Amino acid sequence: MSKTKIRPAVTVGAALTHGDWATRLSAIVMGIGIAAHRQIVKGILVFLLEISYIWFMISAGANALSMLPGLGEREQVKTWNEAKQIYEYAQGDNSVIILLYGVATLFVTAGFLTLWVLQLKQSYNLELKIYGHHPIRTFREDLKSLLNDKLQITLMSVPVIFILLFNIVPLFFMICMAFTTYSKENDKLILFDWNGITNFLRVLNFSGNLGKQFWSVLVWTLVWAFFATFLNYILGMILALLINRKGTRGKGFFRFMFILSIAVPQFVSLMIMHTILQPQGAVNVILTNLGLINSPLPFFQNATWARITVIIINLWVGIPYTMMQVTGILQNIPADLYEAAKMDGAGPITIFFKITLPYMLYVTAPYLITSFTGNINNFNVIYLLTGGSPTYVGDTAGQTDLLVTWLYKLTVDQQYYNIGAVIGILTFVILAITALVTYHKSFAYKNEEAFQ
Amino acid sequence: MKKQLLAGVLAASMVLPMVGCGNQKTADTTTAAKKDEEITCDLTVWGPQEDQSEEKGNWLKKECEAFASEHPSWHITFNYGVCSEADAKTNVTTDVAKAADVYMYANDQIPTLVSAGALAELGGTTVDNMKKDNSETMVQSVTYKNAIYGVPFTGNTWFMYYDKSKFTEADVKNLDTMLQKGKVAFPLSNSWYIAAFYTGNGCTLFGKDGTDASKKIDFTGDKAVDVTKYLVDLANNDNFINDENGVGVAGLANGSVNAIFSGSWDYDNVKKALGDNMGIAIPPTYTLNGKQVQMKAFGGSKAIGVNPNCKNPQVAVALAAYLGGEKAQKDHFTMRGILPTMTKVDVGNDALAKAQAETLSKASTVQPLLAEMGTYWTPAESMGKEIVAKTVTKDNAKEKTESMNTAMNTSSVG
Amino acid sequence: MSRNNIANTKALKKNTCVNVLVHALLIVLSLIWVLPIIWVILTSFRAEQGSYVTSFFPKSYTLDNYIKLFTDRNVLNFPKMFKNTLIVAVCSCGLSTFFVLSVSYCMSRLRFKARKPYMNMAMILTLFPGFMSMVAVYYILKVLNLTEGPMILVALILVYSSGAGLNFYIAKGFFDTIPMSIDEAAKIDGATQWQIFTKITMPLSKPIIIYTTLTSFIAPWIDFIFAKVICRANSDYFTVAIGLWNMLQKEYITQWYTCFAAGAVLISIPIAILYLCMQRFYTEGLSGAVKG
Repeated sequence: MSKTKIRPAVTVGAALTHGDWATRLSAIVMGIGIAAHRQIVKGILVFLLEISYIWFMISAGANALSMLPGLGEREQVKTWNEAKQIYEYAQGDNSVIILLYGVATLFVTAGFLTLWVLQLKQSYNLELKIYGHHPIRTFREDLKSLLNDKLQITLMSVPVIFILLFNIVPLFFMICMAFTTYSKENDKLILFDWNGITNFLRVLNFSGNLGKQFWSVLVWTLVWAFFATFLNYILGMILALLINRKGTRGKGFFRFMFILSIAVPQFVSLMIMHTILQPQGAVNVILTNLGLINSPLPFFQNATWARITVIIINLWVGIPYTMMQVTGILQNIPADLYEAAKMDGAGPITIFFKITLPYMLYVTAPYLITSFTGNINNFNVIYLLTGGSPTYVGDTAGQTDLLVTWLYKLTVDQQYYNIGAVIGILTFVILAITALVTYHKSFAYKNEEAFQ
Repeated sequence: MKKQLLAGVLAASMVLPMVGCGNQKTADTTTAAKKDEEITCDLTVWGPQEDQSEEKGNWLKKECEAFASEHPSWHITFNYGVCSEADAKTNVTTDVAKAADVYMYANDQIPTLVSAGALAELGGTTVDNMKKDNSETMVQSVTYKNAIYGVPFTGNTWFMYYDKSKFTEADVKNLDTMLQKGKVAFPLSNSWYIAAFYTGNGCTLFGKDGTDASKKIDFTGDKAVDVTKYLVDLANNDNFINDENGVGVAGLANGSVNAIFSGSWDYDNVKKALGDNMGIAIPPTYTLNGKQVQMKAFGGSKAIGVNPNCKNPQVAVALAAYLGGEKAQKDHFTMRGILPTMTKVDVGNDALAKAQAETLSKASTVQPLLAEMGTYWTPAESMGKEIVAKTVTKDNAKEKTESMNTAMNTSSVG
Repeated sequence: MSRNNIANTKALKKNTCVNVLVHALLIVLSLIWVLPIIWVILTSFRAEQGSYVTSFFPKSYTLDNYIKLFTDRNVLNFPKMFKNTLIVAVCSCGLSTFFVLSVSYCMSRLRFKARKPYMNMAMILTLFPGFMSMVAVYYILKVLNLTEGPMILVALILVYSSGAGLNFYIAKGFFDTIPMSIDEAAKIDGATQWQIFTKITMPLSKPIIIYTTLTSFIAPWIDFIFAKVICRANSDYFTVAIGLWNMLQKEYITQWYTCFAAGAVLISIPIAILYLCMQRFYTEGLSGAVKG
């Protein structure tokens, strides 16, 4: 009883109040606590990081942060030079760059603060260990542990840095845009300001034109994603079953025929579909020549036709992928399940819906979720096939526009970056909640270790 | 200084946009005549790929080098980039500071480029020289908010190519006559073209000369509704074909189309399809309620602009003026068939040049250069597409025209 | 006995009937899938120019489209683009594969605090439409000095592989099927995690490695949105997708449409060959290492 020492919690507060001089000093001179507690190399590395952060702040970071609240004020100035007969320009501020570098500096600072906390805790931890005569890892041992119990650090740091740089920082940048006046309205493309939640109110105002379109586009996006995902999934699976059933000959040949379409880059096959389905395109011409139709079929002209057409073409694009992906899993379905069903006299259709499908849904839920969200953001198919059309006169969003393609029109084509960002965020929130809830409810998540 | 700051530290180049033009130095130190000043500089020039292809003589490089030899005291190292006039907007605005010093663009991009701080205003002798040799229309095509933003080097509009074996020269004066005799393809679902019917009948974009934003887009009343009704009839005519994705040119070759509406870029294709039967004419009139109405194509230009971020604006402006100048335009025409804007450049008896010039003077309206013009395109395109899809009928023409006009005059995020 | 025979014959007849139906259906379906591709191939040999035709088969055939693609540099330098794309594709698929395998291994085999938060984060980050951040990505690359000259290719490689660490779900599913007991045994023998990763798990994971390589090899061939933003006017570093995209612009489409088809066929060939060779691994990669 008396031998058991209650180890005090290692927190920043505890480190600062109960730590020794070195630990406390490391709140200012980072790494000194670690170095003083026998991990010298590590301590020096931490210290160097602090120095480089300070250098960074002095050389650029502080300036970047100080510009962030105002997003720059100076306008481009033009002066006439009579001698040379030209206008000379002195460049002003550029809010986009100020915002981006400000956000980036915030990230660097957040990283620095994390380091500060960690090193403080580490120092205190070491202190306690020395006090309790526990062994302390040498630098060499630390390095070794990077290949063993800390392998995740070795393996994941590079991918995570990439994700930070190219996904998370840009994402925050986009989120910030939603709270600014960054748009071509009132010529705010170079210099813009923060404007709070005004943009959100505009989009969520259901009576406004923008609000109405948002909801109708959202509904179509969800309908599209649902059909695009599940039809692809089920039909792809049926195709795989048909090819792999016992009686089918030339399995390799059929597989080859379907896989061939994967090899053609998607945008090429989509552009070609786009041309051949036009009123004067090959399909209509051939059907007319055969006498099957009198006037061209309005594949992309009529809203309902267009919506069905894009879903069907998406099947053409997606089914071969599904087929390849599920083939292996299908073969893993325990044979006794089928035997039992056959004993009970179930036909192939019953077997498919009662055994195959539930089993597959069970196993491939994460795949389904990723493909559902992928379809919600399926820019290529819509952009290249219909460009969102048909668009009713007076609308900015076409009848086949998904939220992403509408966003693209609003931002890249029309330069309403702030409104685009708001729509992006709203979409993102809706999707994120759906995906996380579904995923957490799914079998694969709950029983992650079922097979191990 | 740049190098050091950029060395891997994230927020470092914050300061870059502020460093901006280093040109003040040269401006202060010299008051001597400009041609005598010694300048050594790098100059980045962007133009379309065809202007740089060796097979066609590399017009851009040739002219740049000729320019350099005219200015022996300037030691210029040229860097070339590929950016078609249509892509300038996207490529330049991505990063104006790193974009070309001198580049070519289509004039409808001026509002965007100016609001992105990507075009420098020109003035003084450069403008005087340019005005001297170019028509009023061409000057207007690079004028935005009373300032000149480029040197035009070719006109940009559309006219009509037709099959001479189908139509006589008298036929091609009127669209309805043509429709009785042969198949006509028109890009009705393209908002750059459809305006011709409306503006022909007195609808205006931002006042008479397209510069008064307060006048708004006026596609209202009977003058617009009647046109919509006419277009509904047109779309129902069996001899009319909506031209999309090159249906027209392909049709000329196999005889399923006898006339198309396009610009100088399709000349070679049409020539190949029709050979000696190729005819070129200005956009025809059409018969609206018994009256002859002249279609009015949007007229614009392609021009050469200077980036305000460039280090040596003096050299850049001189180069832009040179590239849009007489000798360069002449070479452009002989090497690539690019029609000149300067009347003094001799193009001989070129039918294409004649048609384009005639269209610009008789059958065109200046495509307005205003930021407000941005709301024109989508509603007009939707209107064209709906007419083609026959969801606009004579019954709802009034209502649809009104909602088109409203949409054209309201911001799309309103 | 005889009753049994009759039943058998009936069943046999029914089977034959079903077989015929299934084969007929498959043939029709494969025609639907193959026709557009045959159309592309035929177009690439078509002598008549332009994007619109009224018949399925060309009126006359020619090889000129391919020749023009490689010799006519007026609009684009196709061989150079092909080379650029190949470099980018090879490098970025190597990098992506490494990222995917590392992350998915950690998610599947290791247990640490940040694991579940990371998985949740990855799930929602992929929901975010990439093009919204294009400008930000460009400026970040600019700070890293990767937007001029040959560094553009490096920038493209980074961009195409940057998201790989988020797409680990499929590979993780594969690793999940490798029994933990194998790892345990190795650990008892004194193997470190690193050794388990490289010496035990990797050799068992050929299918998923190939699957990942394949899927990441394709991205650079088909993306034109990011490529255009990053290359801007630097035509020396254009990728094939930009070139193909340019051929469809209004000024070029009539003259270049058949060449566009030829280009499409050319880039499809390496991808098709890869897929055919790797098909087996592709299906296996998704179904797990140890068969049930």
